[in-house]
Amino acid sequence: MTNKKSFTRRNLGRATVAGAALIGAPLPLRYGFAQSPANLKVALLLPTSGGQALIGQACKRGADVANDVLADMKIAAKLEIVNYDTESKPDVSRTQAEKAIEAGAHVLVGAFDSGQTIAIAQVAEQRGVPLIVNIAAAPPITESGYKFIVRNFPTAPMLIGGAFNLHKETFKASGTTPKTAVLLSLNDTFGTAMIGGIKAMFPKFDMPYELVDIITYDAAAKDLSVEVAKAKATKADMLMPVCRLNDAKLMIQELVKQRWEPMAVMNPGSPGLYEQDFLKTMGKYGEFHISNVPWLDPKSAMTTSLEARHAAKFPNDQLDINGGFTFEAMLIAAHAWLAAKSTKPEALMEALRKVKIDQHVIIGGPIQFDAKGQNVGIKAAAVQNLKRKPTVVMPLESAAAPLVFPEPGWNDKRRV
Amino acid sequence: MTWLRGLIAGVSSRILWALAILLALLIAAPALLGNYALSVLILMLYFACVGQAWNIMMGFAGQLSLGHALYAGLGGYAAAGLYFHYGLGPWLGVFIAIAAAVAAGAVVGYLGFRFSLAGVYFALLTIAFAEFTRIGFDNWPWAGGSGGLFLKVERNVTDIANLRGGPLLFYYAILILAAGTFVLCRALLESRLGRYWLAIREDAEAAQAVGVPVLRCKMLAVMISAALTAVAGVWNAFYYNNLFPETAFSVGRSIEMTLAPIIGGLGTLFGPIVGAVVLTGLGEIFTDASEIFHIAGLKQIFYGLALLIIVMYRPAGLWPWFAARLGIAERRP
Repeated sequence: MTNKKSFTRRNLGRATVAGAALIGAPLPLRYGFAQSPANLKVALLLPTSGGQALIGQACKRGADVANDVLADMKIAAKLEIVNYDTESKPDVSRTQAEKAIEAGAHVLVGAFDSGQTIAIAQVAEQRGVPLIVNIAAAPPITESGYKFIVRNFPTAPMLIGGAFNLHKETFKASGTTPKTAVLLSLNDTFGTAMIGGIKAMFPKFDMPYELVDIITYDAAAKDLSVEVAKAKATKADMLMPVCRLNDAKLMIQELVKQRWEPMAVMNPGSPGLYEQDFLKTMGKYGEFHISNVPWLDPKSAMTTSLEARHAAKFPNDQLDINGGFTFEAMLIAAHAWLAAKSTKPEALMEALRKVKIDQHVIIGGPIQFDAKGQNVGIKAAAVQNLKRKPTVVMPLESAAAPLVFPEPGWNDKRRV
Repeated sequence: MTWLRGLIAGVSSRILWALAILLALLIAAPALLGNYALSVLILMLYFACVGQAWNIMMGFAGQLSLGHALYAGLGGYAAAGLYFHYGLGPWLGVFIAIAAAVAAGAVVGYLGFRFSLAGVYFALLTIAFAEFTRIGFDNWPWAGGSGGLFLKVERNVTDIANLRGGPLLFYYAILILAAGTFVLCRALLESRLGRYWLAIREDAEAAQAVGVPVLRCKMLAVMISAALTAVAGVWNAFYYNNLFPETAFSVGRSIEMTLAPIIGGLGTLFGPIVGAVVLTGLGEIFTDASEIFHIAGLKQIFYGLALLIIVMYRPAGLWPWFAARLGIAERRP
């Protein structure tokens, strides 16, 4: 009777579930057990809901695989990452930062948006807890004299300067230089800051082309036919878009409709063209455009690990710079903790100021911070859409594929 | 003392005691609560304060404004800009802020009331003003343009003269502001102007027929409401230390200001306070739930559902129902 009882259908089911859980224990858990005990508590503050939810979630994915990649790279640190949603609002960001510190966070990481980051920065500064900024380009974040903040993301002038240098490198490598360019930009916070920066920096960089016009459009525009027609009328050789995802799609659709085939669609440091949804939606018309932005170094072993881990955990999502920079923020926290050998805020901050990380994922020199807490070693890369994937083509030392410049016409056979 | 006696006339001693205990608890709160709870309490007081200001227009005078972020934004930008560029402290800057908001309110009010725009048409006008002010600030370098205006933050500094300091300073500042707004609203309601507003809210034509100066009263409602909102905007700008036109003048921000009095009880004195406590509290509970279940956006879904339930089952707001249960029903003006 006893034997019969132990083989009931219910017991068999339980045994199967337990066995499957044991055998199929996810890899991250195994690596986690192999690493040192988690005692650096990192609060990750991101807009995972609200207007910036998609980008916030892309950032979070980079952090979700951080412990696995650290294990792959034999970095003996395991982070306890606790997620906090800022709801894309500065007031919520501030409250969430207070909550995180009260819950015992040793380091704060966030928050993609400048307004939210500043709100968190104040709490970090007042409570003396280090904040590692993953993404936020507003210069005041590191220009306000904060003592507990480091930023591993370029400021708007750094983005533009890097893009201008890459433009020159691209022309030199291809042997083709456009004589004129037109800037087509949205007029939101980011777009206006970029236009201001471009106007100020263009003369200083002695660019080989003339900027014949700057055309702006509303961030909520549903049709860009007039703006594209105006840009086409300038007969510029090159189109420089400063855009986000949806307007990037509208813009390219109009270019195709109006049969305008500029030598290149090459942005001066903006999102939109390299994004997963853009590539999926635009198909062959999304190919060959170039984005000049910080990017993952395809020749770094850590990038290979990050890409593999990301692909395994999120097979339907593309790893981009949002995930890349957020992963790097985790990497910085881990290095600081290993150097400080303590979770005390002052010790961690001291370690952050002295940190020098040679092996990381974003193209550029070692991660280290200047006196203001800014990493000035981040380099931009020219990322060209090739075979539905943003691919680094410049600088040459990091290139994963040869550059295609000028880009083929809309009906060219190379567009498949 | 006569003024004070007039203010508390008709209020039962039970309510006065309850208010005194509540005030004492709020004063002692920083000693009893942690920093996180204090930051939540600060949010509650802020929303109670701006809700009270909005309630003057909608709850008392019956004029629907969906662009109140205009006044908070103008107030915040005026005081923060003067401090940032000229070092003028917010205690002086607040008067400029009030003047700017009152002027804007006067323009909105005059255009709306003079040309008999009412209901949704007046609401559209308020939205339009907030929107084109946003666009203006987006392109105004003095205010930092769309890149934002940032105030410097220093650690371990308490400078009351310039409203620089930690959460404790801002807690007491918003507590005084919220309490002051509450008392002012009570005084206004008990005044002749308050009676006129109620008459206009119920039937503007009838009020005019019996000699109520409708245009003047409506103008006063919008200007007083704008002034109070601007003061809260100054506090907000110095608390968060950054201002962006996109958020400062957004319709979403305006809607946020209306929720506490609507949920708490439109036209009542305690409604905005109850609404702010319930909404902020619910928000925090649902945020925690989202984090526990690791589902982004869960908060917004449940928050929306909770609002729907409250509006469906307590259309007059939570406070009148709650007060009736406690036997301290506030006379709905």
